[in-house]
Order: sequence, then C-alpha cells, then structure tokens
Amino acid sequence: MLDMVNNRGFYTMTLKEIMPGQSCIVTQLFTNNLRKRIIDMGLITGTKIYVKKTAPLGDPMEIVVRGYALTLRKAEARTIMVERIEE
Amino acid sequence: MLNIALIGNPNSGKTTLYNELTGSNQSVGNWPGVTVEKKSGKLKSKNVEANIIDLPGIYSLSTISLEEEVAAKYIYNKEMDLIINIVDASNLERNLFLSLQLLESNVPMIIALNAMDIVERKQETIDIAELSKLIDVPIIPISASKKIGMDHLIEKIEQFDYKKERMVIKYNKEIEFTIEKFNKYLKDRYVSIRFLEDGLKAIDNVSLSRADTAKLLEEFHNESSKYNLDFDMVLPNARYQKIIDLVNKTHKKSDLQKESNTDKIDKILTHRIFGLPIFGFIMFSVFFLAFGPIGTLITNQFVWLINQFFTWIINGVASLGMADYIASLITNGIFGGLAAVVGFLPQLAILFFALAVLEDSGYMARAAFIMDRALRRFGLSGKSFIPMLIGFGCSVPAMASTRTLDNDEDRKITTMIIPFVSCGAKAPIYGVFAGALFGGGSFLVVFSMYVLGLLVAIFSAILFKKTMFRSAKANYIMELPEYRTPTLRNTLMHTWEKSKEFLVKAGTILLAAFIVIWFFSYFGVVDGTFRLLTDNEIGSSLLGSIGRFVLPIFKPIGFTDWQAVVAILTGIVAKESVVGTLGILYGVNGDVIQNGSLLYNSIQSNFTSAQAYAFMTFALLSTPCIAAVTAMKRELKSWKWFIFILVYELVVAYLLAFGIYQLASAPLGSTLTYLITAVIIIFVSIMTYKFFKQKGRMCGSCDSCKKTSACDLTKFIKYKEEISDDDKGNKKGE
Repeated sequence: MLDMVNNRGFYTMTLKEIMPGQSCIVTQLFTNNLRKRIIDMGLITGTKIYVKKTAPLGDPMEIVVRGYALTLRKAEARTIMVERIEE
Repeated sequence: MLNIALIGNPNSGKTTLYNELTGSNQSVGNWPGVTVEKKSGKLKSKNVEANIIDLPGIYSLSTISLEEEVAAKYIYNKEMDLIINIVDASNLERNLFLSLQLLESNVPMIIALNAMDIVERKQETIDIAELSKLIDVPIIPISASKKIGMDHLIEKIEQFDYKKERMVIKYNKEIEFTIEKFNKYLKDRYVSIRFLEDGLKAIDNVSLSRADTAKLLEEFHNESSKYNLDFDMVLPNARYQKIIDLVNKTHKKSDLQKESNTDKIDKILTHRIFGLPIFGFIMFSVFFLAFGPIGTLITNQFVWLINQFFTWIINGVASLGMADYIASLITNGIFGGLAAVVGFLPQLAILFFALAVLEDSGYMARAAFIMDRALRRFGLSGKSFIPMLIGFGCSVPAMASTRTLDNDEDRKITTMIIPFVSCGAKAPIYGVFAGALFGGGSFLVVFSMYVLGLLVAIFSAILFKKTMFRSAKANYIMELPEYRTPTLRNTLMHTWEKSKEFLVKAGTILLAAFIVIWFFSYFGVVDGTFRLLTDNEIGSSLLGSIGRFVLPIFKPIGFTDWQAVVAILTGIVAKESVVGTLGILYGVNGDVIQNGSLLYNSIQSNFTSAQAYAFMTFALLSTPCIAAVTAMKRELKSWKWFIFILVYELVVAYLLAFGIYQLASAPLGSTLTYLITAVIIIFVSIMTYKFFKQKGRMCGSCDSCKKTSACDLTKFIKYKEEISDDDKGNKKGE
C-alpha cells in the first residue's frame, strides 16, 4: 500500500507490516487517539522496536520497546511509520 | 500530619509497597491497573505521623485515562507534602520517564527503587549513589515483595529534609528557550512544561487573562513551528534522551542475554495455535473448580456445618421463651435467609481464589491480549475481558475494575453489560430450580443460563456501540508484565478481602433486607386485625398482597403465583435472597439448604419447566442487586445512563422471559409461528440497520473498516512526507 521511498532511501512502511522477529525504527507517528499514550510509553521518532509476536487470533501484536513488552493493535500499528533494520 | 503520595507506573509494585508501609491488607494483582481508587493508610512509624496515599498507577502525567487524571490533579494542586516515586528497577528506562516528570514539579520526593532483587538475579548493577546525584533526589533500593529495604525507606521518610531545594533538571537550549517563553505567562516552570507537552489541556485550571491566553497561544504556535519533531514529541524525546544518558552512566547490563522465564512461558501460553485452547482450558478449569464436583462437595460440607450451628441457635432461641415476634424474627427472618446466603460462600471463595492466582501470576494481562481480537467484534477491548470475568464472581468489584479501561465509552459500555454476566450470587437460583425440575440435565440448564447472560451482554455491547456510542473507539495498548509466582499470602489475602466483602454485605444490607422481608411476610391483616402471622397464614401477609397486586404484570412471563413475584422483588435487594425468600414463602425456612428436596417439592408443585426457565431468565437479566446498582451509579457518573440501563435491563429481562415462556409452553404449531415471526423481525431489523449504517458512515477506527478508499491515511502520509522533506531540504540547504 505504501510504496514510497523516503529521502534517506529507505522503504517507508508501517509497524503493522513488520513481521514477528524483525526490528525497526520509528520515523513518524500519525495522529490517533492513543498518540499521547504511545509517545509516553516511549515510542518516539528514532526508537528501536522489536516485533515479538502476534496474538493467536492474529491481532494485537506484541513488541519489545525500551526493554519491556508492549501490546498494541494493528490498527494503531498502522499509524506508526517505521524503517526496517537488520539485526 | 504529613501527606505522602505513592506514585509509580502500573505494576511497579506500588500496592505491595503500600501494604508494607502501612501494614494494611490491600489486594495486589499482576496486571496493570489494580489500584482504581486512591486509598490511604497510616505510615508504620513511631517518629512521624503520616498518611500514605496510594494513587493509581500511571505512565505519565499527561492525562489520558481516569487514573492519570486523579494523580495529575493531585500533583497539580500540591495536595501532598512528599512523593514517594516507586521505580521498577527491572524496567528503568520507561519508569524514569514518570520520575523526571514528577521532578519537574517542586514537590519533595524520594525514589524507592523496587525489584532490586530481580536486577541482582540478572547479574546487573545500578549505581544508585551516582543516579541519585545526577537527578538530585534520594534513592532507596528496595524489594517490596521480599520486604527488603523497608526500614531504610521509612527512616528516610522520617529524616527527610523539606527545606532543601532540588536541582532543576534542564533540557537543551532550544527547549529551555521555549519553556521560558511560556513561563512568562504561566509563571510556573512545571505548568509551562505541562503546557509544552499537553497543550491547552494542561492550563484548564490556570487563571489567565484573555489577552495573555491569546499571546500564549501565539507563542505556542510560533514555537511549535521551530522544531523538526512533532511538537508534542519534543519534550518526551528530550526526556527519554536524558534518561538513556542516565541509564548508560549508572546501569551495567549483563552481557549474557538469556531468554527470560517470561519469554519461555509466553512461548506456550500465547502460542499461535495452543494459546487459545489453553486459554479456554484455564477459564473452564476456573468455572469447573468453583461449580463442578469439588466446589459442590466443599459447599455441601460447609452448609452442613452452618446448619448445625443455626439449628443450635434456633433451638436455643425457642427455649428462651421470648415474645413471639422476636422468636419469629430470629428463626424465620434472620437465620432462614442467612443460611441460604452464607452457604454460598465456599463457591465464591474458590472463584475469588482462582481469579487471584490468575491476576497475581500475570496471566490476566495475557488473557486480555489473547481475547482482544474476539472482543473487538463486540466493540470492546481485550481489557474489558477482565471486568467481565470478574463479573462472574461479583458485579461490584467488576464494575470498579472498569476504571482501568482507557476511555470513557468503553468504561460505560462495560459497566452497563456486566450485570448480564451471571454473577455468583445468581448461581443458587439456578441450582435450586434446575435441581428441582431438570434432574440429570441440570448442569446443562445452569450452563445455558451463563451462556444466555453472556449472549445478552455481547448483544447489548454491540447495540450500545452501534447506536449510542457510535463515535467511540475501543482502545487497547497494554504492557505485558513479567510472570511472577503468586505468593500464597498474597493470593489468600485477595480471596479473604473479597470474601469478606461478600460476608459484610450479607451481614449488613442483606440482613436488613431479610428483616424487612420478614416483616412484610409475617405481618398482615387477618379477619380485620393486623397481627403476627403463623407460617400457615403467610398468604395473608403484606408481601402477599403486594405480590398479588403486581402479579398480572408477570402473568405473561409465566409467573402464576405471587410467591415467585415476591422472590423476584426481593432479588432487587440482593440476588442471594431470592432462594431464601422462596424458602420463607413456601414455609420451608431454615431447611432450604439442609434439605434441598423440601424446596424442590414446593418448586415442583408450583412451577413447570417452562415457568422455571422463564423465572431463571428474568432473575438473571433483570435489575441487579442494590450493591451492584450503587456501584453502577458510581461508575457511570450520570443519571441519564443510570436510569437508561435500569429500564433497559427490565425491558430485556421481561421480553426474553416472555419469549422463552411463550415458546416453551406453546404447542408445536404455535412455536413454529413464533419462531418464523422472530426470524422475520430479526431479518427486517438487520436490513433496517444496514440501511441506516450506509447513510451515516463515520470513521471511528480503522479497525473494522475494509474500505481503504474511504480512508485518506495514504494521502495524508504522502503529504506529510513532502512537507518534512521540504523542511529538511531547506534547513540543510540541499
């Protein structure tokens, strides 16, 4: 859906598209009603995220950020723009 | 008298610390958000007199949920003399975020660095002296669950120097400049910082002249355009950078990155395939433990004991030769009813125990994680699952736990559907009726009541969501705590607390209710005189008159005698009393529990199967007990919703009981007629709904929406990209 290359030559994708076991870095947060909470929980531009797994029913997803496990829905993950990184 | 507030992240061990500091028994769980109201207790200290206030766990001072609002307001009004900020050492980075926010206010503060034992176990070290120096605040290492460092902390509180001014934590020049700009109008660094972070919301309570407000907003606008980052991210970003700097300087992580126990357990419990069956199995086990053979056995033994005791008292009362009405009050009114209620305690205790184990271990949070997807279909979040599960025990704590939900609509909807989830107090009703009339299939009948309750709850949730809370978005963002082995002490404390609540209710509200019921059922007019009645004359009682008076309303749903009506009426006072009242009204008081077949006989001779099922349905769905109604009012905070839900429950209960009774008692031909009519009605309603839905589509959440064309997120992203590219281009001069 988002076939765009940003100015640093990275594919821009959303957190939703990152597969379990992959890592990424937050580039942008779009407005949603949980934005403030997401920021306060430590997801800020430049923060590294490791996607751990998705729930048995496919949603929500579990991520590791700043050393703790956080779960959020794919609907919210969709509003978090990330760059994929290799471990 | 000092006021000391305990503030920290959810699940950081705050309530455990509170218990240790005050010596009181609070329930402690292991899922984020156990403290839903602030509690206070006296500090265990001989040298200072202080109140410890346990505030809800929060992640930040930006108010998103009710809990944060409570805490933030508290700090804003400076209602405390001292803050004890509890910081989870095993999750330092995120925990320090709140600490730094708290340090921005000028309220005196001590940091209690909790879970030091876990840090040591991981072979990590934290240079506490250095950290304390860097942020200029006393830090006491503790382990609340292992009771390490408590004396030290209390000592520190006793000797705290309130006169000392704390070093101001500064951010970079750019941000300090912005804060200074705001401070010109707000005259308080803390408020200025909150304004930078939260915008207008932060200055709701600040009195500013209109001209100043306008200027302040202009400054806000000017400043916000200066940063590359989104403005609301600027300060959190700076704060996290500061924290990373602090952590790097003080926290030595061990090199060996072992797979933690939590990871290992989660590999199984939240497994892609096994996660769901395991969840189902665990929930079934809880249910089975409480209501299956083991629960029943324990209950029977307990009831036997209680009855020995009550019989002994009743015999004693009889031999004392007191006035007739007093003897009647004690034997018929008080003990007849209480026997039925207290006998129900073991099952409740088992249920509370099982829930406490799930809560303390950390599985509850996983349950919410696993169930989120399924519950979202009904417009609820995974977190709503926990209040609903607790609702199987008792609606009152269930409603209190809705406060952990992130938004108001979720909270309201969950609170309103909890009464439909069959609470433990309704179980004896099914037990007696199913046992009397359905014989071997009684377990299925009881189970069907639970399913019916859940279905109505789910249907109501969808209905509320689609009609009255259309713009509501069910949110979900939750931390998964590490697994902990539940301690026996903690679990038993939990169980005892909740059982006590039930017993206290039985001893107060219910006792009063039973006395009132006794008065209405043992006094009446016979042959023109108002007097105490004997058991045989109960038909002439006041309650009988009321029951007979309103009986016509209940006729269509299968209530043919006034006793049933009266039992339902007393159920509004307390669901536990329905069976007790039936016992009194059918004249089998005291023996209802000891010899169940006595009540079975009365039920068999007064109810058909269809009537019994309609009765159970009505008892399940109609207005909950007074305690729950009170809790509901407290949580809904609105008369409008409160009255609405009371009426809604009555209407739903009546309609369903009506439908079930008419269907079950009609001949086959009519049954089919009814069924087909119902199908047509449902079909038409769905179509009507679809029609309306098409007319007013609103973009509530991206979640259930499959139309990407309707959503301009893609366009928005492109637009944003362009702008930020331009900005960067200009600044770097590319």
